[in-house]
Amino acid sequence: MQNEIIRVMLADDDEDDRLFFKDAFEEIKIKTEVSTLKNGIELMNFLNQPKVILPHILFLDLNMPGKTGMDCLREIKSIDRLKDIAIAIYSTSASEEDIEETFVQGANVYIKKPHEFSALKKILEDVITINWQYHTSGLNRDNFLLSL
Amino acid sequence: MNLKSVFNSSLFLKSIFAASLFILIFISTFLYKHSVGLNESSKLLVHSHKVHLELEQLNSTLKDVEINQTGYFISRDTIFIKAFNDSRDKVAKSLKTLNYLVEDNLTQRNNLDILQQLITQRYNILFENSINLTDSIPLNAKRFNKSLVEGKKLMISIRTHINKMADLEQLYMVEREERYKNESFFTPFYSMLLLLFSLIVFVFSYFKINKDLESFKKANDELIIATESMKHAEEIGGFSSWQWNVQSNTFIYSDNQYRLLGAEPNSFVPSNEAFLEFVHPEDKHIIANGENKAVNDKESSVAFYRIIRKDGSIRYFRSIGRFLTNNKGNKILIGINNDITDQYLISKSLEDRNQELEKSNKELASFNHVASHDLQEPLRKIQTFISRIYEKESYNLSETGREYFQRIQAAANRMRILIDDLLLFSRTNKIEKVFEEADLNELLTSAELELVQTIEEKNAKINSTSLPTLSVIPFQIQQLFINLIANSLKYCKPDVDPIITIGCKIVKAKEFTFLNQNTNTEYYKITISDNGLGFEAEYAEAIFTLFYRLHNNSDYPGTGIGLAICKKIVENHKGKIFANGILGVGASFDIFLPIK
Repeated sequence: MQNEIIRVMLADDDEDDRLFFKDAFEEIKIKTEVSTLKNGIELMNFLNQPKVILPHILFLDLNMPGKTGMDCLREIKSIDRLKDIAIAIYSTSASEEDIEETFVQGANVYIKKPHEFSALKKILEDVITINWQYHTSGLNRDNFLLSL
Repeated sequence: MNLKSVFNSSLFLKSIFAASLFILIFISTFLYKHSVGLNESSKLLVHSHKVHLELEQLNSTLKDVEINQTGYFISRDTIFIKAFNDSRDKVAKSLKTLNYLVEDNLTQRNNLDILQQLITQRYNILFENSINLTDSIPLNAKRFNKSLVEGKKLMISIRTHINKMADLEQLYMVEREERYKNESFFTPFYSMLLLLFSLIVFVFSYFKINKDLESFKKANDELIIATESMKHAEEIGGFSSWQWNVQSNTFIYSDNQYRLLGAEPNSFVPSNEAFLEFVHPEDKHIIANGENKAVNDKESSVAFYRIIRKDGSIRYFRSIGRFLTNNKGNKILIGINNDITDQYLISKSLEDRNQELEKSNKELASFNHVASHDLQEPLRKIQTFISRIYEKESYNLSETGREYFQRIQAAANRMRILIDDLLLFSRTNKIEKVFEEADLNELLTSAELELVQTIEEKNAKINSTSLPTLSVIPFQIQQLFINLIANSLKYCKPDVDPIITIGCKIVKAKEFTFLNQNTNTEYYKITISDNGLGFEAEYAEAIFTLFYRLHNNSDYPGTGIGLAICKKIVENHKGKIFANGILGVGASFDIFLPIK
């Protein structure tokens, strides 16, 4: 993974958040290829294309019109070709119900959108440098919510 | 069945009556027969006497005949002939009477036949002698004497025969007299027996009837009292009773049943149709269903329905019935109607208000949640943009501009804390309350760990006694400890190291009027006290109000939500929290949690 460019994808309906997301990765000194999509429907249409190059990590906003992040998560985990993509929930709120439900549905990590840009950079860097193999095997409810 | 109930059972009484009747009839019949027998033997006795008398009569008449004959022989006076003929008539009459009397006795009849022959023979001789005399021819003395002797002989044998008959009759008489004596000896005995037995039956009946009458009277008195008190209770309690004989389809209403329907007692004949007239048109099917159930399944049910009184007012009724079988084997549904209008209206308005409250509570909670959640989003962006500008563009700003920027940042931060706390507060209410056994000591330790930085900074000391293990919502109790300890740490005296003391003891609910619980309930009273700034007693209640603050924000930054959350948490655990403060000495919080 170190030599390869990490493909990062974000589905978020908020333009500002997509901007912060891209800006943050620009400043991180890790080779990444960032692509953003405007909502869940767009995301699923993209992923369902044949022979598409899948991202390594998918960041999912929960609150999206049409198809919510939760809908997307369920759909992805039900498709064999997609179910191995590492999924990071990327949400404004961190309600117990949302955390519980996304964990049960098979998300890998839960990120609460930070209030400061520096914090955002730090948490995104942490997420993409996680050894996913290791993280996933030891995943539990306590380390699911990534906090700084 | 015990002896007494056997004794009192109607079957037993009927048997006793039948047996007594049988015995009485038996004794009476026996006595009657006995009397008839007695009468018979007395008749027989009289009969024997008559026969005997008649025989004597005959005997003496025959003597007269002889005397008259002799008289004639001597005097030849016809007066004797006349007397002789009279005597002969008498003899004939006597024989006729005897003939009639001895008709039923074979021996005596035979004897009488012989006697008649003898008398006839005697008459023949007499007749012959008389002819001889009347012919006035000289007497053939030899022949005359001979016939005289023959007559005498015949006369003797007649007498002997009469005596024989009289003796026999005498024998009969003695025998019959004996029988009569015997029978008449037992007569008083049988009469006495009948009398005694009748007396016993009579006395027994008297006592039994008397006893029954007394118990009937007593039962009747009790019934009158019970009926009166029932009527009274019905009037006061707003209920009525009714009976429905399902087989004959007849109804009996209590007086109050009419009143509940807004009518005068007995103002109409109770019937199904009459009752249905009062039932609200929309509820008639309820009554029909209940009746069908009663008729078809012999099952009673509870029914709720409306009644329209004659004056047009609507009343709410509750009916309940139970099946009884009366002594004729008929199924009778006895029931009670209850006018529950008042209760219904009260509970209805309560229910409505509850629903309203629940709705507004839900609205408020979701408003809280949504508002704080949705407010976070723009605020987060503002903060992120501020941090972006501050990092990237701060050197382009003037000194004043940077200062203003810092102030904007501080204001935004404060707003975020407010929103976070508000969210926490609304969640304290909203989140599902999952109770589990938890060691409060562990929860306290976790709380201290969360605050470890501040504790060290302030050089604070926390003394705690052993806390119990209790069924609680663990993270909420932890939050409660965090909030209270943080509160003490925050409002400490600037020049004194804070000392926080946590104590716990078991108390009884009845010791504290405000707990207002079942007297047997016990509570844990957990007290968290400090040596901080304290507060004036008048604020003891107000400080738990949402957003309420005692201090200026610039001196002690805060949101005024922390203690409100504490109160909510304790209420979630069906407990109570109270604050006590002395300004300049310290504050203490008492938490009462029920022991289950």
